[in-house]
Amino acid sequence: MEFRGILDRLRAIGAPGLLGHDEPRGADPADKKDKGRAGDPFVLVDPQRLPAFLEVCRDDERLAFDILIDLTAADPSKDDPNLWVLVHLLSLAYRQRLTVKCALSKAAATMPTSVTVHRGAQWHERECGEMFGITFAGHPDPRHILLPEDWLGFPLRKDYVFPDEYHGISCK
Amino acid sequence: MGLLERQFEENVLTTKVDWLLNWCRMSSIWPMTFGLACCAIEMMAVGCAHHDIDRFGAGAFRASPRQSDLMIVAGTVNFKMAERIKRLYDQMPGPKYVIAMGACATGGGPYYKYGYTVVKGVDRVVPVDVYVAGCPPRPEALLEGLMKLQQKIQQSSVVRRPARTA
Repeated sequence: MEFRGILDRLRAIGAPGLLGHDEPRGADPADKKDKGRAGDPFVLVDPQRLPAFLEVCRDDERLAFDILIDLTAADPSKDDPNLWVLVHLLSLAYRQRLTVKCALSKAAATMPTSVTVHRGAQWHERECGEMFGITFAGHPDPRHILLPEDWLGFPLRKDYVFPDEYHGISCK
Repeated sequence: MGLLERQFEENVLTTKVDWLLNWCRMSSIWPMTFGLACCAIEMMAVGCAHHDIDRFGAGAFRASPRQSDLMIVAGTVNFKMAERIKRLYDQMPGPKYVIAMGACATGGGPYYKYGYTVVKGVDRVVPVDVYVAGCPPRPEALLEGLMKLQQKIQQSSVVRRPARTA
């Protein structure tokens, strides 16, 4: 199925937490400032209901998104109050892909874990946790994965302040 | 060699203790097997037949710090690794030498500005004898670094004269 077909199917089965969608488009010739949008089409989902959404995507027989390719996050700007949490899904049976985007507030960056649906999300969520400071409620092993356990701050946030020293080694 | 020369039978060599010990040390520098990033690929090339670090007696890469004399820091050092490097260095028996290979080990390299976990030079953790420039350095550059280290070892003095009493 193409993206429109997937979207119609998601709406037909009433996928939980589905908020909207966006598709790439060309520039508007009437508006010179408009550059259009490149990239993949995505569906916008409520982060608090993401596990339920992923479960429906996995178990529906017409969608069958059985593989979680990636779960990552992005900080678009210092001024933006939200982080993006991005999920890429793949269906082996139908050879189709889906990009899921969630807007998660920086002030309260807590969302339920997706490990209950896709066990492979464990390491991805640990990385998002240490790099962006997202807390995944119910994660079975929420340690750091790349950084040292006592690292302060979240390096991939745009407002991250670089450390002066770490264990007596100067960073300047 | 001075007064003692040709005073003995053939097959007897006279030399200084310093020279002999330094010659032993510089001709059998055993490096530690340990690569951190892409520089390690060049270090492997140095160990292979074409460049052949064994010509300098430094081809016996040891898997244990307790058997090695030289630590070639080949690659990016981050804070998590820096503590391990320090520990490995402390486990090496003296005399021990360190070569910082490449831009990362020398001063942080391309990660200098935005690498939040990269140590800006391994000399902040262990004392470095020779810095090898390059990103990554060619095998010839590492061999040059090794020859520089040999020169340095040649100049060291092992035997100490007793302190003069006034």
